[in-house]
Amino acid sequence: MSLNVAISDQISDEYLFDLESERRVLSSMLHSEDACIESYHSLLASDFYAPRHATVFELTCSLFEREIRPTYVELLKEGHTLGVFTNPRDIEELKYIAEQYIDDENIKYWIQKVKDKSKLRKFIDFLKGSFQIIEEEPDADVEQILMAAEEKLTNLTALEIDDHIDTPEELAKTGYDEVERRFRRFMEIKEIHKGVLPLDGLTTGFDNLNHLTLGYKPGDLIILGAQTGHGKTAFALHTAKAIAVEHRKNILYLNTEMSREQIALRWGAILSGIEHDRIRTGDITNTELSIILNGYSRLSESGFYSYPCPNLTPEKTISIARKFKTQKQIDMMIIDYVGRMEKQDPKLQEWQILEQIVKTQKLLAQNLKIAVMCLVQLNPDGSLQGAKRMKNECDLMLKMSPIPREELEDNEDLKKYLNPNYYIYVDKNRDGRSGVRIPITFDLQKQSMKDAERVAP
Amino acid sequence: MAYNKKKIYDETASLIVDLCVRGRLNSEEMHFLLNLLDMSVLQRDNSGLFAILKVWLKGENDEEIDAIVKATLLAIDFSNQKSLQTNTELIKGLIAEKYTT
Repeated sequence: MSLNVAISDQISDEYLFDLESERRVLSSMLHSEDACIESYHSLLASDFYAPRHATVFELTCSLFEREIRPTYVELLKEGHTLGVFTNPRDIEELKYIAEQYIDDENIKYWIQKVKDKSKLRKFIDFLKGSFQIIEEEPDADVEQILMAAEEKLTNLTALEIDDHIDTPEELAKTGYDEVERRFRRFMEIKEIHKGVLPLDGLTTGFDNLNHLTLGYKPGDLIILGAQTGHGKTAFALHTAKAIAVEHRKNILYLNTEMSREQIALRWGAILSGIEHDRIRTGDITNTELSIILNGYSRLSESGFYSYPCPNLTPEKTISIARKFKTQKQIDMMIIDYVGRMEKQDPKLQEWQILEQIVKTQKLLAQNLKIAVMCLVQLNPDGSLQGAKRMKNECDLMLKMSPIPREELEDNEDLKKYLNPNYYIYVDKNRDGRSGVRIPITFDLQKQSMKDAERVAP
Repeated sequence: MAYNKKKIYDETASLIVDLCVRGRLNSEEMHFLLNLLDMSVLQRDNSGLFAILKVWLKGENDEEIDAIVKATLLAIDFSNQKSLQTNTELIKGLIAEKYTT
């Protein structure tokens, strides 16, 4: 007997769907505006088992989207106009659905029942699909099968939006706890840290940026934009160095462009301070070799986990992040860079894809309580495609760009610094000041970055 | 909405559409009756349309005027308050004419 048949045989149909719950949700949508809003935001047509129920849900949602109150009458009119309800049996069936009345306040209970069965069916499909692969491809790479299975399973459970509504008591308690925590921290700053602000999250690797942001916090989505060849990867690895090497926190670094050898060589330059080009060509002295080896021993003791992945998809980032969160307790994930992710739907515009990716990463950051940094490519004029939408989603938006030569010559403020050559522009900062430019010194050859040092007075 | 009201509303709406799919009402008539139902149950009509319809139904038959009243009713755009009021006034006039002739 085939394994697939075995699964179907062992699971009774009653576990896979609940038509009564589906009818009650639909009936409630037709009789109560609140229930309609709740169902519209919680369910998809694919959550309904019966095709007729899915159709009724879609028609009702379509009316709602057009700001027509989706009453039973409007549904009948719509269905009749579209030729969906054409015979007395259809009307009889609809009437039966409409008459499954519930108390409106119970709508969440019935929605949950529909959702649970929908998830269960997806899980069964997942099991069947997995069995089918084993049956049809007995020689397939087991690791690949497990990775693919893990990714699919993760997507079944991941990215549940936190839709809990705070009661007045809960909100007041949250506010009180937060103020008390800040008050204690303020006292601590005054007494223990002698006036220096301690970070709320992970270090950014730049003192000035730390001061503005108080660090990258769990749940934060950080977007860093730079033009091609202007230090996106250097910024990512500088961040990784500060967090994973110097503070020994675990981070996951996903790179869509570079091989593991290229990433490893970059680390050689970053940790030794020796030019990247010379390391690449091997043009180094014996002393430099031992400095570089010393750098790599620091890397080997760090919390830097690297995953070169040219065919990265948003779904894969979810699966891999969850895995590393569980296995290595990562505090941060860096995606270098999102423009190189695989397109799931070729019909979508570039900015729509970026928006989808960014939304996914924000949810991921919140669900896993980690900081997620996405690197994006700026247009040649320094703008960012879909910037407004991205800005809405993220907590911190940074743009890195070279300081124009004229500005270096004319700007009196910049003359107070030693060798500033790049700006980090804080375009958005949910927890603090934005619109600030931080001058830094970026050594492209050594792949190193630091706050621009002030000239001694 | 109370249980009984929901039940009457759903039964009536189903009946109207059922008559249409069985060919006893045409699409225009069905839409008119459904709109009238929505107006009576959900919108608490203030247009006076129901009052004038009751007068019309109680009156004597007059084939020609009844046909004009029906055509006027079917032409009402229920989403447009002005159309509703204008046509109600028109029907009021037609019914008055029916009793004076």
